Amino acid sequence: MDHHNDTHATEGTGRPIRFRVFRYKQGDRAPYFDEFTLEVAEETTVLDALTSIRNRLDPTLILRSSCFHASCGTCGMRVNDREVMACVTKVIDLKSSVVKVEPIANQALVADLVTDMVDFYAKFNAIGLALVRDSDWLPDAAEPAGIDSYNRFENCIECGLCLSACPIVASDPRYLGPAALAAAWRAVEEPRELDPEAVLRLTDDPQGSWRCHVAFECSEACPSNVDPAGKIMLLRRRQAAERLRSIFGGRHG
Amino acid sequence: MTREMSHAGSAPHVVIVGGGGTGGAVAHDLVLRGLRVTLVERGELTSGTTGRHHGLLHSGARYAVKDRESAVECIEENRILRRIAPDSFELNDGLFVAITAEDEAYEPLFFESCLASDIPARRVTREEALRLEPNLNPELRCAVQVPDGTMDAMRLPLRFFATAKRNGATIRPFTEAVAMTIVQGPSGRCVTGVSVQDHTSGRRYDIGADLVVNAAGPWGEKIARMADVDVPIQPSPGILVAVRGRFCNMVVNRLHDSGDGDIVLPQRELSVIGTSSWVTDDPDHLAVPADHVEMMFREGSAMIPAIRSAQTRATWSAARPLIGERGASSGRELSRTFKCFDHAAEEGVEGFVTISGGKATTLRAMAEATADVVCKKLGIESPCRTREYPLLPHTAYYA
Amino acid sequence: MSEQSVERTAVERGAEGASTRRRGVIGWVDPRGRRLGGWAFILNRLTGLGILLYLSFHLVVLSLLARGPSAWDGFVSVAMSPVFLFFDVVLIFGLLAHGLNGIRVTLVGFGLVVDRQKAMFAALMVLGAIALIIAAIRIFEVG
Repeated sequence: MDHHNDTHATEGTGRPIRFRVFRYKQGDRAPYFDEFTLEVAEETTVLDALTSIRNRLDPTLILRSSCFHASCGTCGMRVNDREVMACVTKVIDLKSSVVKVEPIANQALVADLVTDMVDFYAKFNAIGLALVRDSDWLPDAAEPAGIDSYNRFENCIECGLCLSACPIVASDPRYLGPAALAAAWRAVEEPRELDPEAVLRLTDDPQGSWRCHVAFECSEACPSNVDPAGKIMLLRRRQAAERLRSIFGGRHG
Repeated sequence: MTREMSHAGSAPHVVIVGGGGTGGAVAHDLVLRGLRVTLVERGELTSGTTGRHHGLLHSGARYAVKDRESAVECIEENRILRRIAPDSFELNDGLFVAITAEDEAYEPLFFESCLASDIPARRVTREEALRLEPNLNPELRCAVQVPDGTMDAMRLPLRFFATAKRNGATIRPFTEAVAMTIVQGPSGRCVTGVSVQDHTSGRRYDIGADLVVNAAGPWGEKIARMADVDVPIQPSPGILVAVRGRFCNMVVNRLHDSGDGDIVLPQRELSVIGTSSWVTDDPDHLAVPADHVEMMFREGSAMIPAIRSAQTRATWSAARPLIGERGASSGRELSRTFKCFDHAAEEGVEGFVTISGGKATTLRAMAEATADVVCKKLGIESPCRTREYPLLPHTAYYA
Repeated sequence: MSEQSVERTAVERGAEGASTRRRGVIGWVDPRGRRLGGWAFILNRLTGLGILLYLSFHLVVLSLLARGPSAWDGFVSVAMSPVFLFFDVVLIFGLLAHGLNGIRVTLVGFGLVVDRQKAMFAALMVLGAIALIIAAIRIFEVG
């Protein structure tokens, strides 16, 4: 079938863009940047461009991708110094004829744009992550026969953009970080199988919610409406209230 | 050179080429049967077709009328997946919604076919449908409720990889198969290994194998050619559109003969409309045609009018690896069930099998069929355990 | 049976050999890609350091008091120079920025006014700017 108007085309559109792509292979002394020029269409995303570079220009370029619609969280990158999901970032929207692409920061680097998410998940698993929550949309809808309540996946897509943007994660490997803390607040808000008191004990720690310095870069970077910063503040409010209660409540106990 | 036992009693080593859902499930199955497994994938796991699919945990109702075999496969696997991978699905059931008189006329046949395929179906009146899903087109006539669900397209298969890895499989993403090692012996040709390029370091090395499983999806033909065999895989792309806003909790299907854009399902805070179908020879270059995008909005908003004015989050294409001959015109006429090809039987090349076809919901069944073939060829008697074996959470992959 | 000829590659779960691209302390002050809250963070770090430096300087200066009137008078004449007064204004900027943003960080950091934190930052900075202008005028009038 002949297709006119491929909205994500990477050739023949007359809009050349220069891509500066971070390169590193195991064993290299230092990373460097490779330059590729591609043409882009209205809807061409950074991921489309990188995939095209990989397919047509350099098959040794590696990157993480899977779902193409910011649900899997694998294609997080720093593009022109901002944390984004490459699959939903249109090249045209960057408003620049030069596009710099780097891996997300503050994670172990495997090669090129691929990071190893081991540290990310270690922090997550320290808290415990519930994947499914009550669906908070369409609250007036009735449930069908056989379904007690509608559920849905948690917002967090485990992309690591929040950790890349956080200035504290940048300098302190012990900080639990926005992703795990946001998951912790969700466990307090909607416990499911997790024990909210146990979770609060983990987060009420100098390296837990108190390590945050209120930069809010995590919430700005989050592509999935998690608002980690807001959740960290809610944790802190809850923790502070419990401290006060135990100090003053104890007297009247 | 014949295949000799170098380590007496050592389990056979199977190399799987392709890190999609099928490859992961095959690795999981074979490891449980006691084989040694190495899986190579040129990109990130599920970065081919698997990660991009709609995300539907099929009840099979869609195939009940025209493709009974697929329908029965689907509902069986639907039940198994709910059992072995809890918490990987949004389990809100689905509705097949009749909008036109034609749809309504189709309903009795559809309903009976569901029951005949062992798919639990329940008739829903127009009023009840609107109570369940307030955003539905108020002109709908009736609906049928079925046990559809939504899966996370990447995270569900990742559970198979996590479990296989924990049980001893070697999983190597960013490792591209570039050639097969083929040996000419007195009894014919035999594949004895895979030559790979490790893209994390640039190094090329060989992996010896007692058998190679080609699970490369739409790239299956490319891999098969490395082994000097041919396999009739027709890459058949379709488009998907994600819009912002969760317009339904249930999966919403159009109650008619399978067509384009007739499924809308929720994923977190998005609604995803799909899909369409065309054929291509090159799975690496999938267009995202403007007319197909428009078709998704048109068909999707026929069921849920709010979609028309929703903000687009993403548009993309994914290629189904359908089995069939070249020359099909749209891909929809090819069967959606799967097949495992033993290339020794058909082309005299030993040590190489290809699994293709199928859909995301049936990944475990595809793996079982493939593992049965593999074990038979290697003389291993070991039953499949994947129907009951609970999968580790996807986060365990990174541990 | 075949020999398993898979070699272990250099990448072992990102631990050996792979470098962790932690941005480090540069991440505290790198303005590229920053949004409003990130700028506030940088501002607080830099003004905090600045105030610390100023306090050290202030203590050193105060020690001049121990050296008697002539040493002190010498310092006072320098302190009245326009350059020094300019630095006084810079100091007030630092104190206002750090203090007012500090109010925001304290409130927000205990989970209060979180929803309007950007608006609060903007309002406090406007207040600070007004106070700074008034202070600058008063300082240069005296000088």
